[in-house]
Amino acid sequence: MSALLRSLVISAPLLLAACSGGSSPTATATPTPTPTPSATFGPPPTFAYNVEPCFTQVIPDTGGQTLRNLLVPDTLKLDLSRPSLYPNGRKLEDQVIDITLTWLFLDLSVTGQSTRTFANLPLNPPGNDRPFNASFPFLAPPQGTPPLAATTGTSFDFRTDPDSAFVQVDRFAMPGVSTVLIGAPLKNPYNDGSPSVDVTGQYRAEQTAQMVSLMNSIGDDLTMIGLKICATRS
Amino acid sequence: MPITGTAAAILAAMVFVPGAPMSAADHLDPPGRTDIAVDPTPDLPADLADIFAWSVGDTVRVVVTFGGPSSPTLPAFYDRDVLYKILISTAAPTDRPDVIITARFGRGQNPNEWGVRFEGIPGVNGAIEGPVETTLVKDGVKARAGLFDDPFFFDSRGLRETRAMGTIRIMNTRDFFAAQNDTAIVLEIPKDRFASATTPLGFWTTTSRFGGQL
Repeated sequence: MSALLRSLVISAPLLLAACSGGSSPTATATPTPTPTPSATFGPPPTFAYNVEPCFTQVIPDTGGQTLRNLLVPDTLKLDLSRPSLYPNGRKLEDQVIDITLTWLFLDLSVTGQSTRTFANLPLNPPGNDRPFNASFPFLAPPQGTPPLAATTGTSFDFRTDPDSAFVQVDRFAMPGVSTVLIGAPLKNPYNDGSPSVDVTGQYRAEQTAQMVSLMNSIGDDLTMIGLKICATRS
Repeated sequence: MPITGTAAAILAAMVFVPGAPMSAADHLDPPGRTDIAVDPTPDLPADLADIFAWSVGDTVRVVVTFGGPSSPTLPAFYDRDVLYKILISTAAPTDRPDVIITARFGRGQNPNEWGVRFEGIPGVNGAIEGPVETTLVKDGVKARAGLFDDPFFFDSRGLRETRAMGTIRIMNTRDFFAAQNDTAIVLEIPKDRFASATTPLGFWTTTSRFGGQL
């Protein structure tokens, strides 16, 4: 088994936790009042990656936004004066994963590398398995023949309690931030938070640590196939 | 830079890297609250899956999905105790919401009846309220809650197969989220309702549970 494949197979369980509903054997749900970078994974590096150039590189077609500007605060930005195309908003059909991969790994200033480098392959399925609707409500109808609620009724028993009676469970905006750049020990506090917490820099060290870990895993492989990564080595 | 077939295969292997961004959607995250493999009482109705926001013509469209990916044999997740919020920043500071749209569900008077109430939609006088699985229209806004196909696409089955077999199995023709569903809320709002925005709109979504987490 190649070193690449070995490292990928070893690391697969942790990705499962972040992606498809699998669980990480090392996952903990204990919030940490003062977040610190969570444990990373992968083989010990023989050198150090500096991933700061990845966070500070300007993402094309964003009006000069850097990756960090896009990630912090964790909001989905939509400039109404420009066409909607991720990361300017997010349409149902946008290949957000393959696009995000390029931000995280590639030097986008290099001729021939773009935010479409992976999407053009594509790495992942290029679209949904069912066509979206052109008209409202846009989403495709449910799969199978699930039991659907009645479309009748005029009087419903809604809660009228104040917001203070509710406790936050989950938050989400930019694909890949909470799920990829926040490690398991910090996921609960991150999801308890808000963009106002993000801008304090509370999770900057964690995001850097996770990015370094990603680079440790595949930075060499990308370089090997001729791509220029955004991280530098020292 | 052209990428050869070999290069593409190696690139495809990236999906096996821990924390790689192909887990970009939010399904079953945070796992300590929403994933039964970690939490014995997962809060599926409060488990956000995705948020989409885009503009076409004179409209702004917002979709929030949750409770998925679920089997096509399962009904939607309507839970009276969960409060859904779509928060939108329209001015500096962009980390603070200027618009807060809420959605909540309530049982009807007859079996299998559920209603949805939307509040806080710009330009709408009061709430938009009515049965789920129905397009509700008020003051130029369309709103709907219901069960839909999961719109996210990504091959994560390959991850599990690789874990089990020790060989790369990723395919860009295989979509883990195919043939599965989400519950969703969908809004179409006239673009001019955001005419006073002084910054790009910034969207995020949250869920909260009445009385505390499960």
